[in-house]
Amino acid sequence: MVKGHKISYSHKSYSILKGVDVSVEYGEMLVIVGPNGAGKSTLLNVLANELSRNTDDIYFKQKRFREWDILDLSKNKAKFSQHYNSDIPLPVQDVVLMGRYPYFDSIPQRSDLAAVEEVMKETGVWDLKEREYNSLSGGEKQRVHLARVMAQLKNEVAHKLVLLDEPLNNLDVKHQHQVLELMADFARRGNTVITVLHDLNLAARFATRVLMMKNGRVLAQGAPGEVLTAEVISEAYGFPCRIWIHPAHHHPVILFGN
Amino acid sequence: MKNKLPFYLLASFLVLLVLAGVSLHMGVYRFEESSVWKITGSILSGDGSVPATDAYIIGKVRMPRVVMAVLVGSILAVSGTCLQGIFKNPLATPDLIGVTSGATLMAAITIVLGESVRQVIPEALHFSLVSMGAFLGALGAISLVYTIASGNGKTNVVVMLLAGVAISSLGFALVGFMTYLAKDDQLRDLTFWNLGSLGGATWTKNGILAVVMLGTYSYLITKGKALNAMMLGEKDAEHLGIRVEKIKRLTVLFTALMVGTAVAFSGSIGFVGLIIPYILRLLFSSNYTLILPLSAVWGAILLLAADTVSRTIVAPSELPIGILTALLGAPVFMAILIRYKKSM
Repeated sequence: MVKGHKISYSHKSYSILKGVDVSVEYGEMLVIVGPNGAGKSTLLNVLANELSRNTDDIYFKQKRFREWDILDLSKNKAKFSQHYNSDIPLPVQDVVLMGRYPYFDSIPQRSDLAAVEEVMKETGVWDLKEREYNSLSGGEKQRVHLARVMAQLKNEVAHKLVLLDEPLNNLDVKHQHQVLELMADFARRGNTVITVLHDLNLAARFATRVLMMKNGRVLAQGAPGEVLTAEVISEAYGFPCRIWIHPAHHHPVILFGN
Repeated sequence: MKNKLPFYLLASFLVLLVLAGVSLHMGVYRFEESSVWKITGSILSGDGSVPATDAYIIGKVRMPRVVMAVLVGSILAVSGTCLQGIFKNPLATPDLIGVTSGATLMAAITIVLGESVRQVIPEALHFSLVSMGAFLGALGAISLVYTIASGNGKTNVVVMLLAGVAISSLGFALVGFMTYLAKDDQLRDLTFWNLGSLGGATWTKNGILAVVMLGTYSYLITKGKALNAMMLGEKDAEHLGIRVEKIKRLTVLFTALMVGTAVAFSGSIGFVGLIIPYILRLLFSSNYTLILPLSAVWGAILLLAADTVSRTIVAPSELPIGILTALLGAPVFMAILIRYKKSM
């Protein structure tokens, strides 16, 4: 699905990524974690084809990004960014409809409107459809963009990739779980999810694989139970923690502090 | 979420049509007996059943002028909407960022200094020399402003507006200097260009304007989706399959062509590209899939209305049309400043 070999990236002679190897398969939900400044977002941006240089080492469905047609690519891959322009003077529905732009020329088809309605119901923003986007709260805006990103990938393409940069910012507990359930479900249907998260317990709960970064390198990579150990976490964050096992789901539960 | 664009467009075209009829009717010259419709019909069929003077006034004076108001108004409004879209700011219009000044400046230089060039080039090109100059001036100005104001993938709109002020001052000074070099007939041309007027309308000029309009609109008018998506941010627009860099480059080029041609034939008429998108935004929020096509019609309506007023309000004299558009535009400029001061 996505393969990157020895990805390096530097900004003004400051090296942010130092030879990262990533490979993600169909049906996986890869969660990238790590302390501030570890290079998580940069890695995600490189994998999303946002940094036009340094993408020659990355293969998406066996093709380099520059070998893809840009419109075709938009039906195979979508990205949720961390920071959106807060000033978009449009009704919520029109913002979500942007996700369908690759599919229609000037007039949205019935299928586009149906896709918009479906994803807006899934993300719980259907009730906001007539509201002005600018009047929404941070968490609501976040979910509107999530709906837009999912609307972009509502199609017949077999294996799709969605990249999310801290999608849970500003969301309450219920919506955090709702969003991650939605993503896990998307992955189970033969697609791939790559997301940056801060909450290690949510990573442990939903990831099929966890990638722990530190200082632009991969510190550990594997199943949540292998990566989220007291040793790895303490080394990455420089902060002590204890690990328990969730009584019902059997994934690690991390408690920080002594 | 029904698509109401066809309905709005149709209604707008009707308004434009009625206004054009009214405008043909109004003016200093009074027709002897026949109505405007009869004269128009007679010109089209060529049967010569109406007095020659009437036919001349409609066919050679008022009709070309009405058509030019429509073409220039439309072009100015669309170029304003497009620039606002790619620079993501309602103040980024051709006149405020100095594109119009750049075009006027080069038009003035071509009028006065073009004499010597004129002798060595074929006659067919004489006519388009000023247009070429205005286009190059517009393109130069917009490239300069864009280069100054951009960095790190962002465009600083305050810097853009200030660069526009600088270019306008330069234009003002050089056009002033040119008036001292100019001969009498050139001086008349210069005054005309500086204040803006549709008085010089001819069918040839309208033909060129129509070609420019059709050529640029065939690309630009369907870019509403792209301009909407760019509100998310340029990277995110690219994720939606939009070729952001290409669209920006072509929009800048086409805007320069549109503004250059409009300035070459009708002088610098300001604020149309500011007023129309502002009003449309109040009605339809910032949905460019609606406001871009609609600005093409409403720009025409605004300029035709302004021109009709300008040639009747102080009859038999004529008010420079730039005075009227500025009277409307300055308050809109203020309103935008008040509304958007937080995000500047």
